[in-house]
Amino acid sequence: MSTQSFFQALQNTELAISIGQSNHLYGVLAQLFHIGGLVLILAPILLVNLRLLGTGLTNQPLRLLVKSTNPLIFAGLISILFSGLFMFAPSAALYYPNPAFWLKFQLLALALLVQFTLYRKVTASENPHRTLAIITALISLTLWFGVGIAGRAIGFIAA
Amino acid sequence: MTAKDFLQLLQDSPLGVALGESIYMYPLVEGSHLISLVFSFGLILLTDLRLIGFFLPSVPVSDILHRLRPWLLGGFAVTFITGFLLVFVSGPNLLNNLVFPLKLLLIVLAGLNAMWFEFKFGRRVADWGVQAVAPAGVKISGWISLISWSFVVTCGRLIPYLATH
Repeated sequence: MSTQSFFQALQNTELAISIGQSNHLYGVLAQLFHIGGLVLILAPILLVNLRLLGTGLTNQPLRLLVKSTNPLIFAGLISILFSGLFMFAPSAALYYPNPAFWLKFQLLALALLVQFTLYRKVTASENPHRTLAIITALISLTLWFGVGIAGRAIGFIAA
Repeated sequence: MTAKDFLQLLQDSPLGVALGESIYMYPLVEGSHLISLVFSFGLILLTDLRLIGFFLPSVPVSDILHRLRPWLLGGFAVTFITGFLLVFVSGPNLLNNLVFPLKLLLIVLAGLNAMWFEFKFGRRVADWGVQAVAPAGVKISGWISLISWSFVVTCGRLIPYLATH
């Protein structure tokens, strides 16, 4: 099955159809949970990356910042994932031709890859090499904010 | 001149017309309004969570206030400037219902709360900021900030649904 027909099939499932026919208020709520999730994910990532760049909470242990922000990021991921699926499912086939949609998920894949490799390795040591820390922060911030910008662009391109 | 007339005047101004007609400027301004939210609302959210005792209790409040301030204020500057530009484009439709006026009212409330916090507690943060549990007044101010800014963002997201379309 091609991706396009998979999207079409997803859109035609009973669940997706019932979401599409539900009160528009739920769609608005999904948008609110999506933006709430964005803030809960990006603000902690910003906080840790500022520390890697040598600004912000520089006199706090790096691992403390990582450990304390993980629950916020996790809550944000849950919020953004379910609200995103709720918005995506009823009009999946509409997203297929949208280049911003694909860019968003390519950036997300890269952001997650960096998050669980380079970023994890750098934030695991208390005093990472200064240049490596700065490069990691710049990559992480570019990718994560890129996901948000590409996500916003979906609406502009579809409009 | 009514508020609607004033918004019409802004929309008909050279800046309002230019922004409305430009293909790239509007998405750029709107996108910046969203992204700067992470710096403004995002960092104030982390600060509020520290004040009410849910986040980084071992970190002195003075650290959070002072070291994040340039980023937080920089974020607010971008959020406010882009928001002001969006008002130029949106025109009198913004007053079709109460969501935009409510947003402005909540921003004023959040601003007054921030001033109250700064004069009452922020100036002598060294006296209480190292405690994991902040004084009651600080907690109340943190909650007011958290709730009012959350509703500001909520109202903002509702504007395209309720007011301008």
